[in-house]
Amino acid sequence: MADPNTKFLVVDDFSTMRRIVRNLLKELGYSNVEEAEDGVDGLAKLRAGNFDFVVSDWNMPNMDGLTMLQTIRADPALAKLPVLMVTAEAKKENIIAAAQAGANGYVVKPFTAATLDEKLVKIFEKLEKAGG
Amino acid sequence: MESPFSESTGSIAGAVPVSQEACEQSEMLARVGQMTRNLHDNLRELGLDKVLEKASIDMPDVRDRLNYVARMTEQAAQRVLNATDTAIPLQERIDAGAGEVLKGWKNTFNAPFSEAGYRDMATLTMQCLVDMQHDSNATKQQLLDIMMAQDFQDLTGQVIRKVTDLAHNLESQLVQFLIDYAPSEVKRETDNSLINGPQINPEGKSDVVADQGQVDDLLDSLGF
Repeated sequence: MADPNTKFLVVDDFSTMRRIVRNLLKELGYSNVEEAEDGVDGLAKLRAGNFDFVVSDWNMPNMDGLTMLQTIRADPALAKLPVLMVTAEAKKENIIAAAQAGANGYVVKPFTAATLDEKLVKIFEKLEKAGG
Repeated sequence: MESPFSESTGSIAGAVPVSQEACEQSEMLARVGQMTRNLHDNLRELGLDKVLEKASIDMPDVRDRLNYVARMTEQAAQRVLNATDTAIPLQERIDAGAGEVLKGWKNTFNAPFSEAGYRDMATLTMQCLVDMQHDSNATKQQLLDIMMAQDFQDLTGQVIRKVTDLAHNLESQLVQFLIDYAPSEVKRETDNSLINGPQINPEGKSDVVADQGQVDDLLDSLGF
């Protein structure tokens, strides 16, 4: 497991889904979690606070998750943030678009705690390899 | 003498176009009337007047029903999440209590025998069992609440069935209308948007994934 103080931002327009992801993260040992309700809110929070990891939905009002991801990658201050997409969008072109935009992982809803854990572990391993 | 004549000629000459225009206008109105009548008859023949009337009543009803489904499912989700928020700390306390008692007994066994030590451990164990009984009862209440929160499925299921029946009726009537009046070539609009929401029926569609395994395979095959 990575640093338990890793600061997560969960971006989803449904409060129940934010609560579920927050609880799952807590169960996995990460209790430093904040929430945002769409891409605009997410970017504002990312720019204001030192976040280490973003878990984002795709389909949200104001700014969707893909646009937020693209904005993160285009912003030098945020570009290296790991972003895990957790979304109901299940078309192949969605998955390809997210990968091309620089997503670190892609989880389709409905998902299990084990899937989320597996993806997080994989992303942290890759980051460690890239860092070391 | 000339002026009255020329005047009368003028008035006659002017009257002719006016009556012609009036004639054309009334003919046009008659045509529009006839077309309206035809359209009305056609719609009636197809039963579409009733369909449209019913649709105008049904649509707001469908909206209300779907709002109800959204409300009920959200309430249920909140209720379950509240219950787990309450129950998880109780379970953690039971776990911590069991750990404490176990550790205490291990230490007591490993230390040289002392009656006071055993007495203290017995007191601690009893207190812990009282707490555990309380916490497990409270957890059971939360589990029952989670169970009761599932009652939305019955209610929303019924509402959704009504909505799908209605959509099906409207669909078949509209399809019939299209069959009767469609031009020979119907343009099909393909949906290429990236925002489609959950796939209700992924089987047999080549452009969507059905589970997380397929997502991972696709990303692997692309080298991500």
